[in-house]
Amino acid sequence: MALRNALLRHLRVPVTVRGSKQSPIRFIRAFSSHDDHLSKQDVVDRVLDVVKSFPKVDPAKVTPDVHFQKDLGLDSLDTVEIVMAIEEEFKLEIPDKEADKIDSCSLAIEYVFNHPMSS
Amino acid sequence: MVAKCQVISLCRSLLRAGRKYPDYNIREYTKRRTLDGFRMNKNLTDPLKAIEAYDEGNAQLEAVQRVLKVYLAYPPKTKNIMELKVQ
Repeated sequence: MALRNALLRHLRVPVTVRGSKQSPIRFIRAFSSHDDHLSKQDVVDRVLDVVKSFPKVDPAKVTPDVHFQKDLGLDSLDTVEIVMAIEEEFKLEIPDKEADKIDSCSLAIEYVFNHPMSS
Repeated sequence: MVAKCQVISLCRSLLRAGRKYPDYNIREYTKRRTLDGFRMNKNLTDPLKAIEAYDEGNAQLEAVQRVLKVYLAYPPKTKNIMELKVQ
């Protein structure tokens, strides 16, 4: 053991800091899905665009906290259609249980923003 | 009587299945047909007729999923002009 320690003391590889020849340390983790996460404003704009482009909706009435059925006069089928359109826009698959709960722009925005896979 | 959530779920399944078609025309048709079908029957009050319509919808869903397999095996060789992005 003593011999091993003595040997190791002499055989230690000197550590030198390399200059700027090497590229700086990369803080960006490749394959990490959180790096390109959408900003809140981005999500709001895109969700509102989807809702506005729906034929039965008056684009002037659409605001980030509008309720589909109470404020825009849509029925449950229209709501299903809008939620499906949002899924397509953000390339998501929203399970039925969650999709049933989304009945207003604010809930849709919140769901998409908190979903790690939205893009 | 068919519950509302069952109907919505069927509608969603049909839309989801229709979306998977590689052919633009079929994709659009299934979407249009699904929504039109549900709108047509939205005022059904007779429970028997509602069950009948619900069963028909389920049969249609099976057909959509069956035919989808054929379309996935033989996808169209070229894209539809409607899918091309304007340069």
